[in-house]
Amino acid sequence: MTDALRLPVAEKRDLRLGYLRLNDSAPLVMAQELGLYERYGLAVQLEREISWANLRDKLVIGELDAAQMLSPLPLATAMGVGGMRAEVMSGLALSLNGNAITVSRELSSELERHGGRVAEGARSTARALGDYYRSARQPPELTFAAAHSFSCHIFLLRLWLQCGGIDPERDVRIIVLPPEQMVDSLARGIIDGYCVGEPWNSMAVHQGIGVIPATGYQLWNNSLEKVLAVTEHWHRQHTATHLRLRLALMEACRWLSDPSHRLQAADVLAQPQYLNLPVEFLRPALAGELVTSRGQPPLPMPDFHVFGRYQAGFPWRSDGEWLASQTSALLGKTLPAERCKSLVQQTYRTDLYREAARHLSLPAPATDYRPVNAHDASWELSPGILLGADQRLAPAGGAV
Amino acid sequence: MPSTAALRVILVDDNAERANAVARGLALPGLEIISVIPTASGLLYQMAQQEPDVVVIALDSPDRDVLESLSIASSHNPRPVVMFSGSGDSGFIGDAIRAGVTAYQAEDIQPERVKAVIDVAMAQFSAFNDLRQELDRTRAQLADRKRVEKAKGLISAIHGVDEEEAFRTLRKLAMDQNQTLGEVARNVIAVLEKSRPERK
Repeated sequence: MTDALRLPVAEKRDLRLGYLRLNDSAPLVMAQELGLYERYGLAVQLEREISWANLRDKLVIGELDAAQMLSPLPLATAMGVGGMRAEVMSGLALSLNGNAITVSRELSSELERHGGRVAEGARSTARALGDYYRSARQPPELTFAAAHSFSCHIFLLRLWLQCGGIDPERDVRIIVLPPEQMVDSLARGIIDGYCVGEPWNSMAVHQGIGVIPATGYQLWNNSLEKVLAVTEHWHRQHTATHLRLRLALMEACRWLSDPSHRLQAADVLAQPQYLNLPVEFLRPALAGELVTSRGQPPLPMPDFHVFGRYQAGFPWRSDGEWLASQTSALLGKTLPAERCKSLVQQTYRTDLYREAARHLSLPAPATDYRPVNAHDASWELSPGILLGADQRLAPAGGAV
Repeated sequence: MPSTAALRVILVDDNAERANAVARGLALPGLEIISVIPTASGLLYQMAQQEPDVVVIALDSPDRDVLESLSIASSHNPRPVVMFSGSGDSGFIGDAIRAGVTAYQAEDIQPERVKAVIDVAMAQFSAFNDLRQELDRTRAQLADRKRVEKAKGLISAIHGVDEEEAFRTLRKLAMDQNQTLGEVARNVIAVLEKSRPERK
């Protein structure tokens, strides 16, 4: 903990922070419940938004001071794709992982019939999906959904499909749906599966509507999921406020990194003023014991949601560059390497993370890049800096 | 010529009353409301079938992300939409968002023509919000009045004074405590209702 009195004076005390109904809004919510904003001299009002577009627009026009954002969204907004163009950036990641793929019971039985085993991981079910797709006399018409065009959900879903040798552009249809409509759309057979953040997977499992064949963690270990986003303009005018806000949230993330606090967080998040959902939907993922199919025993997945651990707050530029290149690929374009680098440099502010870490006397990575497919367990980047595993599924028979 | 044909507008709003008001406001020469739908479930189909020039959507609709996904080129999305940003006037976009509405337009439509649509929609949304606030205020005033009546009754019953005297007491309390009559009445009711059963 740092001495808040010795920090530069906040330019603004009353802040409005936007979030969506997801398990990984836990840092923003717990910072409020634990009085951490107050500790840093901030009075925060949390604003629950109904769409990422609303959240982005309110942030850009200044109705919100800061917001929880999908990690590719600041990049997409800076690129001006899909909606409003503005310089949005982040100096703090809020969470790693936290997503999963859910499929209908029918598709799940097909995956099982083709040798897909959830417990064996995403590669097993991806291959089973590919086998199912290719072995049918007439290729099945499959529709998948994700919560936003420029989200890890889409990228993870595409990875899973590609790992099974399925072309996400030609072989299947991918649409965008609000998370709240996923379970119902799956039940009604409008979609065959989806990739979304928790609790919207566990909800389908709990109701016996869907089965989880892959988690985000299995597809790409410890990928950057949500970040604290502000506009470049706001940051310049509120540098001290921004620092205080990051410190409060880093303390919330550290609190959440203790597994014994997770069920308490689930109870808080479930309340009407936050997610307003039955706590049973929130518990499995937050406790790290995911139930992938109703009636089955939970599978231990301690890193399903990562807050605070493994340098989870660090906005890795390596991850940013991959997300930017995936965003371009989705638009059918190639982002020149130099442009990609400079875009990520402006958007993912590792310098701001290091500044905050110094105030908390925490070690921070000296490099902005972490490797991919180099470690299948946690490892030490440098003395005192523990990082998580970094495996990422590769497309079948192709390069990453 | 596309520039003289009526702009074909789809309105997405799950508040039927407000949607009707906006649609009435948009019944203008040069505009054609081709459909008013409560949610975007069906929007994908509508977009493909109707090929609108403009989509006006309420901010409290959860479907904006769905709509924006259509701007990504893809074989089954017939008509790319981009968010209205033509005039480069970001203040204007802010005003629309604060009013609770935003719009998307097909790429080949002149932004100036769309601005007129948003102006109307924005005015209707603001008017609707004002109306609702007005209604809330009226309801609050009515509740206050009832509370004052009740407090008056309690004071006169318990202290054996007439209603006029009871009202003067309330007014004095309000002035002394720098509170509204409604607030004072609420406190008086809370105190007297607790004490009354013991007295009787």
